[in-house]
Amino acid sequence: MHHFSPILLAQAVSPEDIVAEMARLQRNYEFLSYGLIVAWLVLVVYVLMMVGRERRLRREIASLKAMLEERQRK
Amino acid sequence: MKKMRNTIIYVLAIAATLILGIDIYRIAGLPEEQAQGAIFKIIFFHVPLAIAGFACASVAFVSSILFLVKKDFKYDALAVSVTEVGLAFLAGNLITGSIWARIIWGIWWTWDVRLTSALVCWILYASYMMIRHAVEEPTQRARLAAVVSIFAFIDVPIVYFSIRLFRTQHPAPVFFSSTGSFPPDWSFIVFCNLMALFMLGAIFTMIRLRQEETQRELDSLRRLAHAF
Repeated sequence: MHHFSPILLAQAVSPEDIVAEMARLQRNYEFLSYGLIVAWLVLVVYVLMMVGRERRLRREIASLKAMLEERQRK
Repeated sequence: MKKMRNTIIYVLAIAATLILGIDIYRIAGLPEEQAQGAIFKIIFFHVPLAIAGFACASVAFVSSILFLVKKDFKYDALAVSVTEVGLAFLAGNLITGSIWARIIWGIWWTWDVRLTSALVCWILYASYMMIRHAVEEPTQRARLAAVVSIFAFIDVPIVYFSIRLFRTQHPAPVFFSSTGSFPPDWSFIVFCNLMALFMLGAIFTMIRLRQEETQRELDSLRRLAHAF
C-alpha cells in the first residue's frame, strides 16, 4: 500500500495536505466501488428482466392452451 | 437438445463465476496505478464490457445480413437476442467510463468523439429494440430490424477508430496498439474478464433465444385461438 510518496514526506507536509491526500484516496476507492457495483447491477437487472419475461411467456402460453382446450371440448 | 443446452448454460455459468471470482481477488491484490490510484482498476471491467458489447454487435450484424439473404427467422432471433445482451454490456461500459471520468477528468461526461460515438451506438441499438416493439407483422418487423442493425453497425468501427484518428479527451489505446504500455500480467486479467463476459454473453443469448422460440410458439397459439 502506498499512501504518500517519499518526495511528499521529505518536504514539509502540512496536516491539511495529509487530510486532503487521504480524502482523495478515499474518494478514489469510493468511486471504484460505485463503478463495480453499477457494472454488475446492470447485468443483474438484465437477468431479472429476462426472468420476468420468461414467467410472462409461460403464463400466457398456459392460459392460451387452456383456452384452446376448453374451446375444443365445447 | 433442450437438456444439452441447459447443461451448457450451467457449465458456462459456473466457469464464468469462477473466473470472475478469481479475477476480483487478483485485482484487489494489485498495486495502485501511479498516476490515477485505485480508480484505474475499473479498466479491468470497462474495457472487457466494451469488447463484449461490440462482439455482440458484430454477431448481430452478420446474422442480420444472413436473415436478409436466407429469410430464415432463426437468424432474426439470434440478432435480437445478441443485440439485447450487447446493449446491457455497452450500458455497463458507458456507466463505468462515466464514473472513471468523474475522478480523473472531474466531469461525468464530455462530448468528445469516443464518448459521443459510443453513446450514439447505444442509442442506435436501443432504437433497434424499440422498432421491434413498434412493428406487429413478424416478417416486416424482422426485415426492418435487420436493416436497422446493419445501419447501426456502421458506428462500431467509428467508436473503435475514434481514439486512433482524432485527438480526444479519452486516452489513447493501451490494447492492440504499439503505444500501449499495459503490463502483461495485467493484460492477462483483462483477457480473463473478457472470456468470463463472453461466457455470460453466450448464456444470456441462449436463454434469450429460448424465449424467442417460446414467443413464436405463443404467436402461433394466438393465431390458432383467433382462427377458432
